[in-house]
Amino acid sequence: MPPTMLSAKEATPAQADGRAGKYLTFQLANEEFGIRVLKVREIMGLQEITAVPQTPAHIKGVINLRGKVVPVIDLRLKFGIPAAEYTQRTCIIVTQVQAESGAVLMGIVVDGVSEVVNLTGSEIEDTPDFGEQIAGRYLLGMAKVKGKVKILLDIDKVLSTQEIHHLGSLA
Amino acid sequence: MSCSADLRQNIEDLALRLVMGGTESATAPADWISAIEAIRAKAADEQAAVLTATAEAALEQVRGASFQNDEGRRAVLPEIITRLQQALEGETEPPRSADLALGQDPELLADFALESREHLAAIEAQVLILERDPGNKEALHAAFRGFHTIKGLAGFLELWEVQRLAHEVETVLDRARNGELALGAAAIDVILLSADNLRRWLSHVEAGLRGENSPPPIQDQALLDRIQSLNGAPPETKPAAGLATLACQVEVADRGADGGPAAAPPSTPRRETMAVKVDTTKLDFLVDMAGEMVIAESLVRHDRELAGLKTPQLQRKLAQLTRITAELQRTAMSLRLVPIGPLFGRMARLVRDLSRQFGKRVGLETSGNEIELDRTIVEELADPLMHMVRNSLDHGIETPQERERQGKPAVAHVYLKAHHQSGQVVVEVADDGRGLDREKIRAKAIERGLISEDRILSDNETYNLIFEPGFSTAQKVSNVSGRGVGMDVVRRHVEKLRGRIEIRSSRGDGSSFFLKLPLTLAIIDGLVVGVGVERYIVPLFTVREMFRPRADTIWTVQNRVEMALVRGTLLPVLRLYRKFRVSPKSEDPLESILIVAEVEGQRFCLLVDELIGKQEVVIKSLGETFNTVTGVSGGAILGDGRVGLILDLDRLFKERNSESDY
Repeated sequence: MPPTMLSAKEATPAQADGRAGKYLTFQLANEEFGIRVLKVREIMGLQEITAVPQTPAHIKGVINLRGKVVPVIDLRLKFGIPAAEYTQRTCIIVTQVQAESGAVLMGIVVDGVSEVVNLTGSEIEDTPDFGEQIAGRYLLGMAKVKGKVKILLDIDKVLSTQEIHHLGSLA
Repeated sequence: MSCSADLRQNIEDLALRLVMGGTESATAPADWISAIEAIRAKAADEQAAVLTATAEAALEQVRGASFQNDEGRRAVLPEIITRLQQALEGETEPPRSADLALGQDPELLADFALESREHLAAIEAQVLILERDPGNKEALHAAFRGFHTIKGLAGFLELWEVQRLAHEVETVLDRARNGELALGAAAIDVILLSADNLRRWLSHVEAGLRGENSPPPIQDQALLDRIQSLNGAPPETKPAAGLATLACQVEVADRGADGGPAAAPPSTPRRETMAVKVDTTKLDFLVDMAGEMVIAESLVRHDRELAGLKTPQLQRKLAQLTRITAELQRTAMSLRLVPIGPLFGRMARLVRDLSRQFGKRVGLETSGNEIELDRTIVEELADPLMHMVRNSLDHGIETPQERERQGKPAVAHVYLKAHHQSGQVVVEVADDGRGLDREKIRAKAIERGLISEDRILSDNETYNLIFEPGFSTAQKVSNVSGRGVGMDVVRRHVEKLRGRIEIRSSRGDGSSFFLKLPLTLAIIDGLVVGVGVERYIVPLFTVREMFRPRADTIWTVQNRVEMALVRGTLLPVLRLYRKFRVSPKSEDPLESILIVAEVEGQRFCLLVDELIGKQEVVIKSLGETFNTVTGVSGGAILGDGRVGLILDLDRLFKERNSESDY
């Protein structure tokens, strides 16, 4: 369900500035999302994920990233979107997020990666409140580029440890 | 946290009323009381602690019966308002720790704390030498230099309290250097206590750096007085010696006459080695990578496609690569190694303090100070060693009178030794005291219901009972040990280090505890097993045996719990596929493998599909994400590049009968 622009608030100039910059965009279901390029460490094709017992469904397990053991989250399941078959386009984006103990690497499984876009402050707007399908606190804002809307994620919040465990299913 | 504008307004209203002559009215006192009460309530709401407290004090004052009449009450109002305003100001600024000077570089402070701790450790060692050998000029100078350096650094960083204390002690040592003061037992005590005090200040600084709001240590005025009295005292002051301290001095003479081996702390002059300070995260990363390189190199060497291309020249090059990789890994591992000597040295102070506290005469002897262990192991060993030394001094070693009655020398000994033995390091904690009392231990165990009366135990099994939680044979609980906590914790620490403890004891002669430890924590010898498509790693040191069960091996009890008959003993069986909810290749035990493992003296069986092989793996932490997972303690990269999960047998055993949540 594409988000409709309801009464989008006027983004204050100060806010929009902070969010301007380069974003890596990717697809999940029919939505386009973006995360700050600074948070992206690597993009790789799907590889064998070792499942870890006693974890919620959206935590797929761990992978070997050149000697480091990195956890991998399925973003669809995390957001409560029904799981889909992994295709050739399915990728793992390895992100670096701020956890309680410092910077950690975490991988997210996405349907496909699109491109890197450079967003100016004026292209970013605040998110309208459109229910709890995707919790508002995960969103930095929305951007309209070339007629398409991209949802900008605060990946630190999405992957914070408390979220990982207290989520259950958000849908 | 800053207060609301409302609160500020309330206080200013009160002040305004005073200015406008509100005190003249007859009902004024009641008015102010309610006004101050309102301020107090608001401050409490906003959690402005200081302001709330000030308002409360003010209320008490105004309501107090000590005022004869309203006149008196009115007179204090201006003062109360001033105090409230000050409190308000205090609340709006972030609480400033007066001794963590603002604008100080946190890196400088961290370095200072680290360096000073090193200095204090060295100082303590030197002072203990001085205690035994008051004429030792070298130790005196070294101790002086230590305090002098700390004083200088503290002054530079504007840590005035620290500087002051260091200065006082430095003065004492300086006077001793110049022959103006003899360092008797009282002086030594004071110096050591000052070092303790300085350590508390360092902890306070470190806590501040971490963002914690810890209270600064109370400046011990009594201690300062004692130091100053030392400084003011005329030379050749006779120390007020208690019997114990006199004995301590006498002991020095005895030991000196013996010409015994180098006793702790090691009194060899510090070797001036070129060293660099390295961030431990970088170090750990390097060690990690070296370990992975070994695996990557192995993958290349065993690559099937490469096999067909292997010419003699290529073989030679690969062999060279293997040699270099192995050497690199050995060197990287050795970077994490530190000598155990300093840890033994720390025990010297403990032995000294405790022997005086218990009125016993004890000397400490160490050997193997140069033996190196992974630094994390050495850190983890600190607590267990302290527990055991305490136990030794509290329970093991007899009073001098009792020893003499038994024909033993009045001075007892505690031994701390380290040596290598077949790929392990053995750390020995021994004493020549009473030894373990088998009968007493057995009686206590029966009393605590740990064993039944008719159970027959070997000596070793009896001694091992002391590791059971809640066990203690101490007649009275001293504040040091005897709470029955010590040995249980010791064993847990040692097992955490993947080590084992062995006990040897003989009534009347003493006890020895042998801690057998692996050389390193980062790498584990693992047994790789398969369950379905999953791969798990069982720490090899826990494995006792493995076999394929026969039809009559496995029994089901009460239709729920499974047991296996292993050499005449029934052991619980844990089907890994069930615990981890994975699909196995076969659910039939006859087509599976049983692995007999042992944790904390208990044995149980793991049911898996197959044995893949044995592999040395580098342990990787799984990270915060998996904090709630039990049964898995970490991950490792397997020979084929996949991630294998390392099993936490301890948890698996404890939770063998419970179903997991997911």
